[in-house]
Amino acid sequence: MNSPPETPPAADQQAGRTAVSDADLLNRHIAGDPQAFSEIVKRHRDRMWAVALRTLGDPDEAADAVQDAFVSAYRKAESFRGEAAVTTWLHRIVVNACLDRMRRKSVRPVADDELIEAAERETPVPDQTTEREVSMEVSSALKLLPADQRAALVLVDMMGYSVEDAAQVLQVPSGTVKSRCARGRAKLVPILSHLRNRSDLSRVSSAKGAELRDG
Amino acid sequence: MTGDTHYDLEILAELAEGLLDAATALQVREHLAICDPCGESLADLAAVREMLSGTPTPAMPMGVALRIDRALAAEAESLRGGGVGLVEAPAWDDIMRDAPWETETPSLPEPEPVRLGVVGDDGTVVPVTPARRRRAATRRRWAMPAAAAGVAAAVIGATVVTTGILSASGGPDTNPMIGVQADAAPPKYQLTDSNWNYTDQELSGSLLGYIGPVNAGGTTESSKIDQCVRQVAAKVGTAPFAVDQGFYNGQEANVMVFWHNVSKNQVLVHVVGPECDQVREPALARWK
Repeated sequence: MNSPPETPPAADQQAGRTAVSDADLLNRHIAGDPQAFSEIVKRHRDRMWAVALRTLGDPDEAADAVQDAFVSAYRKAESFRGEAAVTTWLHRIVVNACLDRMRRKSVRPVADDELIEAAERETPVPDQTTEREVSMEVSSALKLLPADQRAALVLVDMMGYSVEDAAQVLQVPSGTVKSRCARGRAKLVPILSHLRNRSDLSRVSSAKGAELRDG
Repeated sequence: MTGDTHYDLEILAELAEGLLDAATALQVREHLAICDPCGESLADLAAVREMLSGTPTPAMPMGVALRIDRALAAEAESLRGGGVGLVEAPAWDDIMRDAPWETETPSLPEPEPVRLGVVGDDGTVVPVTPARRRRAATRRRWAMPAAAAGVAAAVIGATVVTTGILSASGGPDTNPMIGVQADAAPPKYQLTDSNWNYTDQELSGSLLGYIGPVNAGGTTESSKIDQCVRQVAAKVGTAPFAVDQGFYNGQEANVMVFWHNVSKNQVLVHVVGPECDQVREPALARWK
C-alpha cells in the first residue's frame, strides 16, 4: 500500500514468464509489439480503476475516464520520458482524465454548511452500518470536496501512496499535497463523524492523537 | 489560546501534516494538552484518515476491462491503417494539456501507420518518425452509441481473437484464446457490452436502440458468458440472437434476447446475473 511498485507481485508470479519491466513493455509497444500494451493494461487496470472510481465517485464516469486514459497512453507512449516510473505516468494520465471530466461538469466548491446539510439529507441513518454503506458514504462525501483536495485524498489516504508519489502524479510540490489533504480531511470530519460514532471504524488512533499532542 | 477558544479543524489537520511553523505548532500542542474538545477534533481527523484507508478498492469490473480492450484493439486497428472509423477520440488535447511531456505540437495531418522509436542511453524513447501525429483524426466520434458498438465488436472481432487481447478473462498468457475457436459450433449471437443500466420498463419496450442492430454472423464471445448463454438457450429451446452485458437495476447483468415472433417483432428477454442466475422473470418485449 505504499508507493506504486514498478511491477506488481502478480506479474512476477506468472509461471514461465520472466518479469518484464513496465518500461520495457512500453518500449516494445512503441516498437510495434501488439501484446505489450495490453500487458501493461492488465497489470495496472485495477489500480487505475480504483483511482478513477474514487476520484469521480461514479462507475460510468470512471469507466469513461479510464478508457480515455488508456487509449491516450497507448497513443502517447512515445512521449513518455523515462525519468518517471511508468506507473506514475499512467496515474497522471488517469488523474488528468478524471479532473478534466470534473472540470467539464464544473463542480462548484461547496460551502461547509452546505456540506453538513447534504450529509444529513443524504444519510438515512441505518441501524447497522455495513462496510458497503460506509464505502458509499465515503464516496458521496468525497464528491462534496473540491477536485484538487479529492484527488490528493484519493491518492494518499485511500490508495496509500506516499505524499511524494502523489506529488509526482499531481505535479505539485509535496507541501501542496499535504495541505490539500489537510483541508480535505478537515472538511470531511463533520460529514463523516456520524459514521464514526456508530461503526467499527471508530478505532481511532488515539495513540496517534497523543503522539501529535505530545510532540 | 485557552478557555473557550478552540482551534479549527483545518489548523489541527495542518498540525498533523507538519505544515505549521514550529512556534505555532508548539502553541497548538500546548493548547491540545489542556483542551479536550480540540483533542477530540484531532481524533476525528485521524478517524477520517482511517475511514478513507479502510474503504475497499474494488477491482475493475470485467465489463469495463473488456470495453477497454476493445477500445485499444480499435485503436491498434486504426493505427494499422484499417481505420474502424466508428470510434471517435475524446479531446486528448484538453485532457493532456497540462502534462509536462506535452511538447510543442506541430500539427501533422496524416496518421502514421507504423510507429518506430529508438531507446536512448538513458532509457528514454526517442521517436524516429515525427513525434506528433493524427491531429486531424482526434475529432472522430468517440462515445460509441450502443448501435455502433455492436458493429465495432463485429469488425474488430478478428483482431481480438488473433492478438489475444481478450485474454482479460484471466487464463495463463501462453495461449489465451485456446479452446474458444476449437469449440465446435458456438451459438451465433451478437455480444455487446453497453454497460447500460436497464430498468424493468426499458426491458419491456423496444430494445434495438439499446443493443444495436444485429450483424449477421458477427459474434464475439468470452467463455464464461458463452457457457451461460448455452445454459439459458437450453432452457428456452433456442439460441439468443443478441446478448448485452450491462446492468439491471444497478446490478451487473447480461441481457439475452431471443426471437419470439420475428414477424410480430416480439422478443423474449432473459436477464441473468454474473453467475448466470436469473435476476428477472423472462418477459416479452419489442425489438424495434
